Amino acid sequence: MVTPVEAAVESLRQISTEPPVWLVPKQELSQAVRAASKLLFASLKPHCTKSPFDELLIEGFDAEQIWQQIDLQSQPLLSSLRREVKKFEKHPEEISKLKVDVEGGKKKVLEEIETENVVVNDDDDEDDDIDMDEEDEDEEEEGEEKEKGREEESENEGEEKGGIEDKFLKIKELQEYLEEDEAREFGTNKKKRKAETKKHEEDTEDEEEEGDDEENEDDTDEAEEEEEDELGLFGGDDESDEDDLGNARYEDFFSRKKSKDSEDKAKYRDMLEEDSGSDDEHVDKKVKNQRKDGLSKHEKELDELRSKIEQMEKANLDPKVWTMRGEVTAAQRQKNSALEVDLDFEHNVRPAPVITEEVTASLEDLIKTRISEGLFDDVQKAPTLSSKAPREVKELDDNKSKKGLAEIYEEEFVQKTDPASAPLTFSDELKKEASMLFKKLCLKLDALSHFHFTPKPVVEDMSIQTNVPALAMEEIAPMAVSDAAMLAPEEVFSGKGDIKEEAEMTKADRKKRRANKKRKFKAKAAKRPRANTSVRNSDEGSKV
Amino acid sequence: MSTEATATMEIERMPSESKALPPKPQFEPLKAHEMSDGRVQFRKVSVPPHRYSPLKKYWMDIYTPIYEQMKVDIRMNLKARKVELKTRPETPDISNLQKCADFVQAFMLGFDVPDAIALLRLDELFVESFEIKDVKTLRGEHLSRAIGRLSGKGGKTKFAIENATKTRIVIADTKIHILGSFANIKIARDSLCSLILGSPAGKVYSKLRQVSARLAERF
Repeated sequence: MVTPVEAAVESLRQISTEPPVWLVPKQELSQAVRAASKLLFASLKPHCTKSPFDELLIEGFDAEQIWQQIDLQSQPLLSSLRREVKKFEKHPEEISKLKVDVEGGKKKVLEEIETENVVVNDDDDEDDDIDMDEEDEDEEEEGEEKEKGREEESENEGEEKGGIEDKFLKIKELQEYLEEDEAREFGTNKKKRKAETKKHEEDTEDEEEEGDDEENEDDTDEAEEEEEDELGLFGGDDESDEDDLGNARYEDFFSRKKSKDSEDKAKYRDMLEEDSGSDDEHVDKKVKNQRKDGLSKHEKELDELRSKIEQMEKANLDPKVWTMRGEVTAAQRQKNSALEVDLDFEHNVRPAPVITEEVTASLEDLIKTRISEGLFDDVQKAPTLSSKAPREVKELDDNKSKKGLAEIYEEEFVQKTDPASAPLTFSDELKKEASMLFKKLCLKLDALSHFHFTPKPVVEDMSIQTNVPALAMEEIAPMAVSDAAMLAPEEVFSGKGDIKEEAEMTKADRKKRRANKKRKFKAKAAKRPRANTSVRNSDEGSKV
Repeated sequence: MSTEATATMEIERMPSESKALPPKPQFEPLKAHEMSDGRVQFRKVSVPPHRYSPLKKYWMDIYTPIYEQMKVDIRMNLKARKVELKTRPETPDISNLQKCADFVQAFMLGFDVPDAIALLRLDELFVESFEIKDVKTLRGEHLSRAIGRLSGKGGKTKFAIENATKTRIVIADTKIHILGSFANIKIARDSLCSLILGSPAGKVYSKLRQVSARLAERF
């Protein structure tokens, strides 16, 4: 009997064999695929408990919504599957516990899935440029492929446990290693150790960073290696000091020890490198050979202490590192050694500001506000105290002087002899004008500020009044329209008699006018040269 | 006649002098009229043609102060185109005639009557004349430009110098006449010479300002 799953798969395979079919949206294709996906959904339903959908709703839903439903179902399903697979990885015996036919069916399914994967992968590559109608089918296929892929991977891997482990970190191996290390440290010998550590290191050689687990694992490895090395060193020391714990001799410190320590130090440096598993092995061997059986814990601790003390004493006797030596010039230390040390010194200058966009934005804002306020920090000149009164600057007058020279000298003379009666100078007049203005201003201010009425001061001023009517009545009409300021005709024209135009004049009028003119001229001419006659008596006759 | 009568002048007698010196004579100052042995003194001032009509215009202004206040006779000789001045018996001082002559001469040079009157009133005023070619030889356009520089636009440079130094200046073609007191004439002459020599008006103004300030401070 064909399961619904198989039927769905079969139908899908039938559809997806010819890629050109997908170029044009076809109704029957979409229908078929939708039906297939519904069947698959239903088949997976019993395995996932948390899904809110009982079945895949197809009618009236678009691709996105269908995909969302599938997604909702498949996500918890995937995680549960992963867990299952890991469980099987940890305990491979449980797989066999499963029913045979289930397993067989699973295997068969897996085989099919593998072939499907191949086909589907090809299809996916070709179907990159189809319309929306096909998208839901694609997505469904991809979803299926993912599920299948996961299962495939799990099969390939075999033993995958938990979330923190992958093919680099194996917690079980780590635990074993730690146990062995402890055993070695405390005396028990395990042959397996070597092989395990070697393998472990080989694994760590492959460098790939996938998440924190990797780093953690590396760190733990390094720590273990260092532990190992320290133990190696201790092992080396143990040999010589085992018997002479109290009698420390020169040769213990300086002669024999030197070569050994250098040897060990070299080994220590080598072991810190990643790809030197063989050296490590060598040290391990040496350490093991040098150790004697039957050292108690206390003795071991004492050994450790002793070695530490020797180390420290040696460090004290050696010439200090240049950083500890006080004043050191460049000649007394290695080249570029100051670069490696983190020196701390005071900077006298502020570090240059890092110009970021925010800094420039803040500066520009500041500039704008200052400009809008007009608050420039302009340097203002400090006002100087003038000790003496400002001199009167006499401006050069480049107009013809109205006074005659005689008058000027007269004024000067008067000023010299009698300053009081001197006529007012130009500056005095200015002062007078200024005082007048100030008095007027004071009057106005007083009127505003004082409650009592103060009348205007009487200013005796001789000024010419313009031609204004005696009664200036206030008019309601505006000034431009009203005729209050108008002059009477007789004020405009002052003339006598009958005024006639040039064209209107009769001959008699013209004659009269001319006669008047002549009379006036004669009178004027008679006035002028009257005085001459009294002096020039003799030359009257010979007048030219 | 006794020696005591004229002893007011003699303070000490000269004893044992056989020949006594005659007493110092006391004379009253001579009148202008009696000078040159009682003959009348004349001054004649020729009238240049361009001053003929102004003379006619201002004749009364010239005549009145000379005749009334200086007590000097004045007349115009039309045939000879000269103004003639003569002392009268009531002319108080001989210098009056000279002052009147200077006054008329100043008018003929081109000064206005109110300015020239100052010559009558003040003793220490003089008229100085010089030519542009005395300062620097200029020809043609340079000369015209120099004259323009001296006057300034609308005469303002000339007026500025006049006002600052209390003088009066007449620029008649290439001749320059300055009327004023001695020191002021000097200052005005310096300014005019610097203008002739080519300095710009602004420079002359600044110098004038300094000088006038100094002059004003003195009093």
